[in-house]
Amino acid sequence: MSDEYENKSGYQAQSSETMTGTGSGVSPDMDYVRPAENPEQDLYHAHSFIEKWVFCQDAKVIGVQYFLTAVFTGVVGLILSWLMRLQLGFPGLAGFITAEHYYQFVTMHGMIMVVYFLTALFLGGFGNYLIPLMVGARDMVFPYVNMLSFWMFFVAVAVLMASFFVPGGPTGAGWTLYPPQTILEGTPGHGWGILLMLISLSLFVIGFTMGGLNYMITILQARTRGMTLMRMPLTVWGIFTATVLAMLAFPALLVSSIMMTLDKLLGTSFFMPTILKAGEVLEYGGGSPILFQHLFWFFGHPEVYIVALPAFGIVSDLISVHARKNIFGYRMMVWAIVGIGALSFFVWAHHMYVSGMNPWFGFFFASTTLIIAVPTAMKVYNWILTLWRGNIRINTVMLWCLGFIVTFVNGGITGIFLGNVSVDVPLSDTYFVVAHFHMVMGIAPLMVIMGAIYHWFPLVAGKMLDEKLGKWHFWTTFLGAYSIYFPMHYLGFIGVPRRYYEMYDSPYMTSGVGLNEFISTAAFIVGAAQLILVFNIVKTMKTGKKAEKNPWKANSLEWYTSTVPPEHGNFGERLPVVHRWPYDYNVPGAEEDYLPQTAAPSEVAHTEVEKT
Amino acid sequence: MDETNKKEQPSSTHKIGIYLWIWGLLFVLSFFSYLVDWYQFQGMLRWSLILFFMFLKAGLIMAFFMHLYWERYALVNVLLWPMTAIVCFVALMVAEGKYTLFSRLFYFFVGG
Amino acid sequence: MSDPKIEGFELEKGFRGMAKDTGSDQTMFKGVHWGKAMMWIFLLSDTFVFSCFLIAYMKGRASTPVEWPNPSEVFALDAFGVPVPLLLIALMTFVLITSSGTMALAVKYGYERNRKMCGYLILATALGGLTFVGMQAYEWSKLIHEGVRPWENPFGAAQFGSFFFMITGFHGTHVSIGVIFLFIYCYKVFAGHYDEGKRGWFTKMRGDYVEVEILGLYWHFVDLVWVFIFAFFYLW
Repeated sequence: MSDEYENKSGYQAQSSETMTGTGSGVSPDMDYVRPAENPEQDLYHAHSFIEKWVFCQDAKVIGVQYFLTAVFTGVVGLILSWLMRLQLGFPGLAGFITAEHYYQFVTMHGMIMVVYFLTALFLGGFGNYLIPLMVGARDMVFPYVNMLSFWMFFVAVAVLMASFFVPGGPTGAGWTLYPPQTILEGTPGHGWGILLMLISLSLFVIGFTMGGLNYMITILQARTRGMTLMRMPLTVWGIFTATVLAMLAFPALLVSSIMMTLDKLLGTSFFMPTILKAGEVLEYGGGSPILFQHLFWFFGHPEVYIVALPAFGIVSDLISVHARKNIFGYRMMVWAIVGIGALSFFVWAHHMYVSGMNPWFGFFFASTTLIIAVPTAMKVYNWILTLWRGNIRINTVMLWCLGFIVTFVNGGITGIFLGNVSVDVPLSDTYFVVAHFHMVMGIAPLMVIMGAIYHWFPLVAGKMLDEKLGKWHFWTTFLGAYSIYFPMHYLGFIGVPRRYYEMYDSPYMTSGVGLNEFISTAAFIVGAAQLILVFNIVKTMKTGKKAEKNPWKANSLEWYTSTVPPEHGNFGERLPVVHRWPYDYNVPGAEEDYLPQTAAPSEVAHTEVEKT
Repeated sequence: MDETNKKEQPSSTHKIGIYLWIWGLLFVLSFFSYLVDWYQFQGMLRWSLILFFMFLKAGLIMAFFMHLYWERYALVNVLLWPMTAIVCFVALMVAEGKYTLFSRLFYFFVGG
Repeated sequence: MSDPKIEGFELEKGFRGMAKDTGSDQTMFKGVHWGKAMMWIFLLSDTFVFSCFLIAYMKGRASTPVEWPNPSEVFALDAFGVPVPLLLIALMTFVLITSSGTMALAVKYGYERNRKMCGYLILATALGGLTFVGMQAYEWSKLIHEGVRPWENPFGAAQFGSFFFMITGFHGTHVSIGVIFLFIYCYKVFAGHYDEGKRGWFTKMRGDYVEVEILGLYWHFVDLVWVFIFAFFYLW
């Protein structure tokens, strides 16, 4: 049995790196890096097609699996949003959309996009693919658990999708699933739909916990030699902090799911108050709906940052690479990420200003909410200062990054409105809120995802995506997204409530009708514009130009693998040794405009590079 | 074997006495917290005694049985700081529970 | 456990040491096995699960206008014709703390590579856990017999039964999972898998006595949660 696990590719333990100093007049120990603490990871190499592509233990394949599954759910979410816009823009045009269906679309669109699409895509997809490569590990630390994590996610998605086909259809309670209406008659999907949703969420949490442990321990305990925490790319910092948030916030979701399942199945009354229905008192009584809201938002608010922080991290790296300039204020960026993460556990009830909670809470949560704007604003300044006087390449990736900054600032500023209790009360449950959160955690992270796809596609597939098509893709998406969400702010100001199936002849809809038609049309175009990306990928895979190694001339380790795309084990015989941060671009005196993280001090002694 | 096992030297074990001591202490503390109920202490005295024995027992288990006392500060801090979020959650839910009770009594019984 | 020796790195004590470890390359928790670090982080996450349960219980109990049942009467047990408050709970606590002690010793003997002692102590722990689960089953059946249901109970607020069955049930599930793993590890210790570094059945990773400590962490955590449940549910 044992020969199966012999080191086939000849990986060797490398605890005795020899010290070499080749530069002129350089002392040899300036290149010294401590010997390896971790022994060489023994990897289980796949033996069959199934082990290699289905139940695979290679984090890169798992990342792609996560990515594709998440994109599939995202497409479902997109189609649901089309159906919603069809109803809102042209009421009655599609006769099959009843009010019940509309609520189901709203609910499933929200839940899918937030949890099953964005969270899974950033942490499961980008996290799995990039973490081991960027910190210089051969794989995640527990490859088997990592594989289980994906399949648990897959089952969760399957259960979620199954709810479209059960009697009564999926739940239509809104993505926040507020009791008591969630599980009472009259809400679409109050039987099977909500049960499957809760089961699916629980499975997702369990699956994610398995993955999250992997991401955290890989980053904390399995970095390569020389890779200190403060030399990690910000992508890794963003994903890491988001994972910590997820590990601590998902428990609240799990608990509220379990409790609501019991309310539904056993008739307990955790969240169910005494209810009069058509003159009769229901069997429920004595529970607290507000408790559910607290538990839900104790998960829900960190969840916003679970989506946003990886986007912050990734966009920082993309901007730095494509502006050929070091990231401005790296340490500040790291502390901002960590600070936002820590603060995000103390702001949850700003989603509940109108819920009837203890009125004193408004003051506390408005304060913490406005404090969290400080590190966020710091990050925006730093992105702009990174661009300032940089050698900017206006390519597709950079366009997506610029699009991100614009949409994020836009969404962030409306957030400051909504964070104040007195401003929030008239605006809550209007389209202003819809516009705000779509801008800040829908469109902005999506821009980063798109940028990241164009940036890392050469690494994953070994071919360069077409730039021209990419620019078309960007401009239609960016302008289209603005056409959708910018008018929504106005709809909110004139008081149009969200989640309404149809506005009929409401007096304030005189100017709203035309606007709704315009928004819907833009939504159809933007959704369809994503086909440009699909076409681009298909075309590139068929006829695209082969990517050279490290096509963007980037510094971070993922571009310095033994092969492109990287094989199992990532780095060939020897793991890279890191000597600097990944942001040494345009260092005065260097031959090239970039210094890889692996460049030893003696090799670059003649440049003006700073010690990092 | 050496390729997977991180550190071959066994993390030096502790004398058996310390485990037996803690073990005994846990029994004694559990007995004390049981006595709180036996003698039916009420009010602040009851709460403070219950919480005191609870945290003492929890601390002993974590520090010695789970070896946290001998772990490096980096690990200890990573594990303990997140508890501030829980503390905040508890504090706010105490306030919220009181408010809910107030509004129930006020609107259902007093008749607001 | 105690400070390991690390080539080319001098470990310092206290907060200075923490700053230095955090600032260093490769690992942040110096000398901590990957699996052990993973278990700690998992337990942190699990702590949040139990905290949320207990916070929900606190909120539910604090805001009910109906009287909450008096635990020391509800959980009293007749011993020789005299109702003794919390007798069964006291016994359960005793059993769980005993098993926690045997587990701590099992970890110690595991690191000393004392296969026999380690195995027997794990077996004792598993049996203690099994006893605990059995006593909990007895307690549940007694309460159900008395008319306590998740949705109602004869003593007072309906939420009492809901929270009781849910939280002790969730804790009991943790104990049961722990017992299953204890039996598996007991077999693996006696079969010598950790002495020869035999590969795991599923993960294909080499075995080592550190796994006993990892399981031990989980088991002590279950005990730890019981300390909180004991205080908040039975004494409060």
